Amino acid sequence: MWQRSKPYLLIAPATGAMLLLFVGGLWEGVLQSLGYRPLVGQSRLTLQFYETLLSSADFWRSLGLTLRVSILSTLAGGVLGLMISVCLVMLAGAGPFKHSRFWRHVFQLPLLIPHFVAAYLAVVMMIQTGWIPRLMFALGFLDQPADFPVLVQDRFGWGIVLTYAWKEAPFIAWMLYPVLYRTQEKWWEVARVFGSGRWAYFREILLPLLLPAWMTASFIVFAFTFSAFEVPYLLGVTYPQMLPVWSFEMYTGGDLTKRPAALAVNVLLAGMAVFFGWLAHRTGRRFGLLEGGRWE
Amino acid sequence: MLQLTDIEKQYRSGDPSPDFTLSVPELTVGRGEFFALLGPSGCGKTTLLKVVAGLIPAEGGRVWFDGREWTDLPPEKRGFGMVFQEPLLFPHMTVKENVAFGLKMRGWGKKKRELRAGEWLDSVGLDGLESRLPSELSGGQQQRVSLARAMAIQPRVLLMDEPFSALDPQLREKMRVLLKQLHQEHQMTILFVTHDREEAFYLADRIGILTEGRLLQADRPRNLYEKPSHPEVARFLGLRNVIAGRMEQSRFHSAEIQLPMEGARPGKGWLVLYPECFRLNPSKSDSSTIPFRVTIREVIFRTGYYSIQAEVGNLALNIRERPTLKPPRPGEQRTAFYPVSKLHWIPEEKGGE
Amino acid sequence: MSRRLFHRFHRVAVFLFILFIVVPFIPLLLWSVSAGWRWPHVLPESFSLRAWTYLFSPSSGLWESMGVSLQVAIVVTLINLLIAVPAANALARYRFWGKRGVEALMYAPLVVPPYVAIMGLHLTFIRWNVTETVAGVVLAHLVPTLPYMLRPLVISYRTLGFQWEDQARMLGASAWARFRHVVLPHLLPGIAAGVGLSLLVSLSEYLLTLLIGGGLIRTFPLLLFPFLNGGDPAIGAALSLVFAGMTAGLLITTEWLLRRCYGDSHRTQPF
Repeated sequence: MWQRSKPYLLIAPATGAMLLLFVGGLWEGVLQSLGYRPLVGQSRLTLQFYETLLSSADFWRSLGLTLRVSILSTLAGGVLGLMISVCLVMLAGAGPFKHSRFWRHVFQLPLLIPHFVAAYLAVVMMIQTGWIPRLMFALGFLDQPADFPVLVQDRFGWGIVLTYAWKEAPFIAWMLYPVLYRTQEKWWEVARVFGSGRWAYFREILLPLLLPAWMTASFIVFAFTFSAFEVPYLLGVTYPQMLPVWSFEMYTGGDLTKRPAALAVNVLLAGMAVFFGWLAHRTGRRFGLLEGGRWE
Repeated sequence: MLQLTDIEKQYRSGDPSPDFTLSVPELTVGRGEFFALLGPSGCGKTTLLKVVAGLIPAEGGRVWFDGREWTDLPPEKRGFGMVFQEPLLFPHMTVKENVAFGLKMRGWGKKKRELRAGEWLDSVGLDGLESRLPSELSGGQQQRVSLARAMAIQPRVLLMDEPFSALDPQLREKMRVLLKQLHQEHQMTILFVTHDREEAFYLADRIGILTEGRLLQADRPRNLYEKPSHPEVARFLGLRNVIAGRMEQSRFHSAEIQLPMEGARPGKGWLVLYPECFRLNPSKSDSSTIPFRVTIREVIFRTGYYSIQAEVGNLALNIRERPTLKPPRPGEQRTAFYPVSKLHWIPEEKGGE
Repeated sequence: MSRRLFHRFHRVAVFLFILFIVVPFIPLLLWSVSAGWRWPHVLPESFSLRAWTYLFSPSSGLWESMGVSLQVAIVVTLINLLIAVPAANALARYRFWGKRGVEALMYAPLVVPPYVAIMGLHLTFIRWNVTETVAGVVLAHLVPTLPYMLRPLVISYRTLGFQWEDQARMLGASAWARFRHVVLPHLLPGIAAGVGLSLLVSLSEYLLTLLIGGGLIRTFPLLLFPFLNGGDPAIGAALSLVFAGMTAGLLITTEWLLRRCYGDSHRTQPF
């Protein structure tokens, strides 16, 4: 009897906390988005906030911006991350970077700093009077700040994309590195026995082995950039706003009647995040891949 | 004295071997006795050992020690020691700390327990390695530490689960010698699990044969070999001449052979012929020996003897002959003589127990 | 491609990536010590330690906010540790009905943004009287941090199995002694990793703190945010550097501890 119930006792505190804070919060969010506000005598459920939301142009523009930014960020971060991880592994055994923990730490740097600091770095570098325009001016590529494209607080969201690319590429590299590293040790010699060159090795062995892990990491980045708040809050424009920022502004804007709509945005966002998470889950086969289970 | 009664346990072995129920109606290990449980892998012997240890609960039956029932006593309170197949040394403790661990758990002071640990390390031949970490030892050394650790707590019963099976043959040999010597010095009660016949016969005062969860026979090694009570026991001890047949009017009948045998219980059963009792060139043949007309099929020189495969009709016989004479050649017809006194009859009813 | 060319190509690639990662920190550093830096100068026209002196003066609120941040992060991490260790044990070593569901629940905040849940709980938190308190912020921070604490612990537990505990039991170790002498040393690397990540995530959290703390629980990110959003760039830069330094220091310490533990228990060279 004790043996049967033991695992349940062990998970009880953590599960309880998550049920209360996470599931409970989602549940209350859903209720409130359906107009459930017993404090003001409103306890009838209605879909009106969703209807208003889905029929408003603002929502669709926000969603469009959000999707565009997160897709571009994921692609940029994914490609850069893959390149970084391959560089790291291939140079692990040769050259001035050999066995250097220092250089690996350098690549981890963007992982260490929070997203809002990364956003600030983007501002410092890329506003029209930022460091990049200054360098370009000094080198004679620019005549005045206005010649430099608006990359921060622009309507397209370039600043957000570039910040995410910079921040998430090392994350993707960090997820791929263990897979790559083990692959390198195990297969490089085998491949050499069969006469494969470095490029053939990369194309025939590394890439196919990496692809599932890469897809999983990219999905995680996508789900995150889709729903994260800080970077678009700091680097976005007032209209259109990305969904998380829009929801936050509606919630904290002081107008209590807008709160259900804010929560409705949240619920839709969470729903889509769950869908992306499920996709990632399917690709990664139950987090096992993330932990490198296949290689142990 | 350790006593098991009516132990029952569902045994799930995983894919290759089928599931079965471990059932041991009665097993007693006397004080100071070295008892070996011998059986093929997957026969449930490790499970039985863990039931004795208290690490897994039995579904039925009781475990007794010195007349008190210990079935539900948690393993850490039984005061048994256990050596597992792997050394399982705690990797973050030095060799000495590992050996002293059990004493620490019993509340011994640091000085006292380290002194005792040192003594035990001496007696397993590892003096000088006290402050090493387990990862710095060879596999054999690690298993010695494991042995010292289990013995240092002076266990009421020492349980050993194939402790030497992961070692290479030479090392295994040495460990056997060491264990036997330690057992004789300290008069410990030991329950030892193995699939290795040699090991069991070398070490044990008594041996129990376990197959598919059933304890077939438990006896002194020589009795076990000379009077197996179950055809499986005979086969597991390496006796290949186990012939199924009937005993009627003091004669044994099988499809292939018939021979006289006095005083055997009539009915179905098995006749056991010991390969080393056959003689191809006896000094004399009389009524005390039975002649078999055999065709030689194969002659192989093994360590110190010839192992000869022969046939009587379709019945294969295994014969062991000393290398003093010129060996027979395959295809040859010979007569093998077998002493009547060495015939062993296993009646069917008895084997079912 | 010849081997040498190949190596040169890779060296260049690595160099470029390092530039890509490191260069943005240069203007940050320069801003923090600049006294005046107008367009189009690449370097500040004059330097001063004004921003740094201000930061370390009592009026900046740096020390208070750091204190609040650390207080929240440490309490959150301790609670996480307390609830994640048993949960990791169950998830890694036991089979039970509903395990996959529990796993999905535990790791869900990695995918579903925690602020969605916390915004939903806002009214409840008001009813519980925990808004604008450290306790409320701690509760809110549990959601994003728990998965990061759990994952390394699950991995550690998975490599432990039950055999060492069985061995310790046979040597007479009680449940607590088994945990203390066998399980805990094995978990240490996982604990170090989980603690580091949990602290990092909690220290970096802005939105949840703002929502539940109502701006009254001023953690470090709350102090920093106004500067990033168009405040004094010198102070913003200096604060960002302090923050980056703090988190980097945290992670390096964790890794050092990890290597020490790991190195000690897996030393292969004799002495």
